[in-house]
Amino acid sequence: MEPGLGDVRPVHRRAGLEQVAAGLIRFVLSRLLQSLVALAILSVVVFVLARATGDPLSLILPMSATEEDYANARRYLGLDRPYVEQYLSFVGRAVTGDFGMSLRARKPVSELIGERLPNSLRLAVFAMGVSLAIAFPLGILAAVKKGTSLDRAAQVIAVLGQSLPTFWVAIVLVEFVAGRLQWLPAGGIDGFTSYILPGFTLGWFVVAGMMRLLRSAMLEVLDSEYVKLARVKGVVEHRVVWLHALKNALIPVVTFAGIYFAILVTTAIVVETVFAWPGLGRLAYEGISSRDFPVIQAVVLTTGAIVAVVNLGVDCLYAVIDPRIRYAR
Amino acid sequence: MNRMSRTVAVSLLSMALASLAVAGPGWAQAKTDLTVALSSFSAETLDPALQGHNVKYYLSLMFDYLVGTTPDGQPTQQGGLAAKWENSPDHKRWTFHLRKGVKFHNGDDVTSEDVKFSLQRAMGKRSTTGYAGPLRTLIQDIETPAADRVVIVTKEPTLIIPTYLSRSLSTEGMVLPKKYIEQNGDDVFARKPVGSGPYKFVEQVTGSHIKLAAVDSHWRIGTPKYKTVTFKLVPEETTRIALLRRGEVDVADVSRERVKELEKENFPVHFRKEEAILHMWWVLGPDGLPAPMKDKRVREAMNIAIDRAEIAQSIFAGRAEPAAIPMGLSWSFRDIGFKVTPDMVYPYDPARAKKLLAEAGVASGFPLDVYAFQLPGLPEGKAFAEAVTGYWEKIGIKTKLIPVDYPAFRKQWVDRKNPGSVGYYNIANRDWIGTYALLEKMAYTPSKLNDTVNDVEIDGMIAQVMRQTDKDKINALMRNIYTRMRSEHYGVPVVYLHSPYATSKRLGKWNPGSVMYDLFIDELASSK
Repeated sequence: MEPGLGDVRPVHRRAGLEQVAAGLIRFVLSRLLQSLVALAILSVVVFVLARATGDPLSLILPMSATEEDYANARRYLGLDRPYVEQYLSFVGRAVTGDFGMSLRARKPVSELIGERLPNSLRLAVFAMGVSLAIAFPLGILAAVKKGTSLDRAAQVIAVLGQSLPTFWVAIVLVEFVAGRLQWLPAGGIDGFTSYILPGFTLGWFVVAGMMRLLRSAMLEVLDSEYVKLARVKGVVEHRVVWLHALKNALIPVVTFAGIYFAILVTTAIVVETVFAWPGLGRLAYEGISSRDFPVIQAVVLTTGAIVAVVNLGVDCLYAVIDPRIRYAR
Repeated sequence: MNRMSRTVAVSLLSMALASLAVAGPGWAQAKTDLTVALSSFSAETLDPALQGHNVKYYLSLMFDYLVGTTPDGQPTQQGGLAAKWENSPDHKRWTFHLRKGVKFHNGDDVTSEDVKFSLQRAMGKRSTTGYAGPLRTLIQDIETPAADRVVIVTKEPTLIIPTYLSRSLSTEGMVLPKKYIEQNGDDVFARKPVGSGPYKFVEQVTGSHIKLAAVDSHWRIGTPKYKTVTFKLVPEETTRIALLRRGEVDVADVSRERVKELEKENFPVHFRKEEAILHMWWVLGPDGLPAPMKDKRVREAMNIAIDRAEIAQSIFAGRAEPAAIPMGLSWSFRDIGFKVTPDMVYPYDPARAKKLLAEAGVASGFPLDVYAFQLPGLPEGKAFAEAVTGYWEKIGIKTKLIPVDYPAFRKQWVDRKNPGSVGYYNIANRDWIGTYALLEKMAYTPSKLNDTVNDVEIDGMIAQVMRQTDKDKINALMRNIYTRMRSEHYGVPVVYLHSPYATSKRLGKWNPGSVMYDLFIDELASSK
C-alpha cells in the first residue's frame, strides 16, 4: 500500500516508538561522524591549497617594502613557522571556534564570519522563500495542465531562469529597476525592500530547477496507481493533487532545495558583489583575492559545516516525508 | 479558471504587487550627511600603522598629521598639528612646535608624547605602512623637551623629515593617542580608533561601510558641514551609479568609460588628474637585464612600437595622457623643476622600431612573456596588456600573454624566475620625496627585492639624494635621474591615468586634490 492513502500502516505496528528513536539517533550520529571526517579532510585540503595560491604579504605590504619589512611581517603574522606547526595551531584553535586573525582586516576571523553569515542566511532564506512561492504553484500547475499554454509558459520561465546568467540579471535589475525606475534600493542592507532585488535574482535561478523537478515528479506520481485509485474512490481533485500526489513528489524537491539552500548561503558571490551585500560569499572572495589564509580556511570550513548540517536536515526530513526511508537505512 | 489556477494566479499577483508597493529609495538621507561609495576599501583598516596608506581618504578625517598639506600637495603650517618647525644648521635635528589646545576625541590633550609614540609605532616591526623602513634607517632619536615640542634627531643630515611626516605621503605622520592605545591595546584601537581629526569613528561593518560623525568644531576645518560621513563599499559600478541616480550617495568613483554618460545626465565629474602612471618593466635576472633587453636599442624599440595616444583614447576613453619618463611621477616634476621636452616624448614609429631590432641582431623578433592582470583603479588592465602585446607583435616580437593576478606576477618579479618577462602597475603619483622613495626601491641596485634597473650611474645619484641637504642639489640630482632613466629607456612608461569621481548635483565645488591615496573629503566638509 502507498503511504499517505490509508490509515493502516503495518511498519508502525511492527516497530515501537523506542526502536524508531534509537534508529534515528544512530542515523544522526553516523552522519555527524561522517561530517566530522569530511571536515577534517577539508581542513587539510584548504590549508594546503590556500598556501599554494601565493604570498599574502605581496598584497599587504606596500610596493616599496624591503626584505626586512617582509621578514618582520612574516614573523609578526606567524607565517614564518613550519607548515605543520601552522596547521596544528589552526586546527587546535578552530575546534574552539577561533579561526585566528584576518591578515587583511586584522580582526578575529570568527568576528568577520559572525558579521557576514547572518546576512547570507537571511538573504538565502528570502531567496528560497521567493523560489518556493513561485516554483511550487507553477510546477504543480504545469504538471496538472500538461501540454497547455500555461505549461509552456512555465517551461519558458524555467529555461530563462537557468539560461540567463545571474550577473546579467542582477545588473539589469540594478540598472533599470533601481537606477532608472527607482522602484527599489540598488544595494546594501537597509530594511525589507533591500532584500527584493538580490533575493529575486538568487531565487529565480532556483525557481527554474525546482519547478522542472516538481513538474516531472508530479507527472510521475499523478500517473501512479494509488492516485488513480484515489480518483476512482471519488477524492476531490485538489485533495488528490495537493495532499496525496504532492507529498510523494516532494523527495527530489527537498533534496534539491536543501542543496541549493547551502549553495545560496555560501556561494552567492556574484549577487553579493553586485548588490553590495556584505555576506559570506563576498568574504570568501575577499579572502581569496587577498590571500587571507585564515579567512579562506574559516569560510571553507564554515561552508563545509553548513552543507553537512543542511544535508543532515534534508535526510531527517526524508524520514518525515516518507516513513519507509528510516527503515531502509 | 478552476480553484487551483486561481490560487496560483492570486499568489503570483500578490508577489508582484508587494514588490511594487515597496517602491522608493530606501537610503534616503538628510542633506547634512555625506555618503561616499567606493569600489574598494583595500584592507578596510582603521589603524594607520596597518596598511593605512591605502585608505588615507577616510583615515585623514579621523586623524591629524604632524605636518599639513594642501590638496595640491604643498606643505602648509595651517593643516597639521605642528604650527611651525625648524631644523638645526647641520640638518640633523628637526624641532616641531605643536598647536595648543588640540584634543583627541576622548578628551585627552594632544602632546609631544603622542607624537613620539605614534612615530615609534609607525616605525615598529608590526607596521606595514609605506615608509616605515626608510624612517627606521633615518631616525636616531625622538626627544620631547616640552608638551608642545618634539625634536626628531636623524642619523644623517636630511631635508626630508617634514615631508615624510606630512599628509603628502603615507600615514607615518598621523598622530595617535598614546594613553588610549596603551590602556586598551592595539586590537581595541584597531576596532575603535580615537584620533583628533574633524570626524570621529562611529561604526565599521566590514564589507559594507564605515561611518564617521563630525566633532562640534575643529581647528582645521571649523564646524564640519556634514554631521556624518559614510564610506560605503560598493564593488559594482552599475550599483554605484544607480545609488548616485537615486540620491543615496554623494560621491562615487566611476570608470573612465562611463564619464560621458554621467556628464550627459548633468552629474558633475571631478578628476584626479594623472593620479597614476601606468608603467611596464622587465623582470631582472640574477645578473640584471637579460638579452636582448640588455641592449638599449631593443628597449627603445619596444617603447616606440607603442601608440600611446591611441591607447589613451581607445582603452582609457581619452582620460589618460601619454607618458614619456620611466617611473616619471609627474606630481614630482614641479617640485624639482623637471620639464618633459618634446624630444623626450616617445613617437609611434614601428618602422624605426623594426630597424632598431635589426641593428640589435634580433630582426626576426624574440619570445616575450607579458603578464596580464587587473588592478584596483585599473579595470582596463587586461585590455591594456592585450593592446600593448599587439603593438609588439607588429614589430616581430613573439609575445605570450599570461593571465594571472598581480600577486602571481609580483612573485615572478621578486623571485626573478622569468627574467625579461614584462609586467606593469598603475603606480600612484606622488611628490618628489615619494618618488625618491619609489626610485630607491625600484631603480636602485642595492634594494635587490623590487629592483628593475641596474645602472651604476643612477645608483650613485640615488645614494647622494638622501645625504644631500641643499635642495637645489637634490633637485638637480632628481632631474638627472629622470633624464638618464629616459635616455636609457629603463622601462616602458605608457600613460598617466586620470581618475574620475562623479558627485551628486547638490554637492558643489570639490577639489579631490593631488596627494596620493587621499581625496580631501575634509575640504568638502570645511566651513572655513
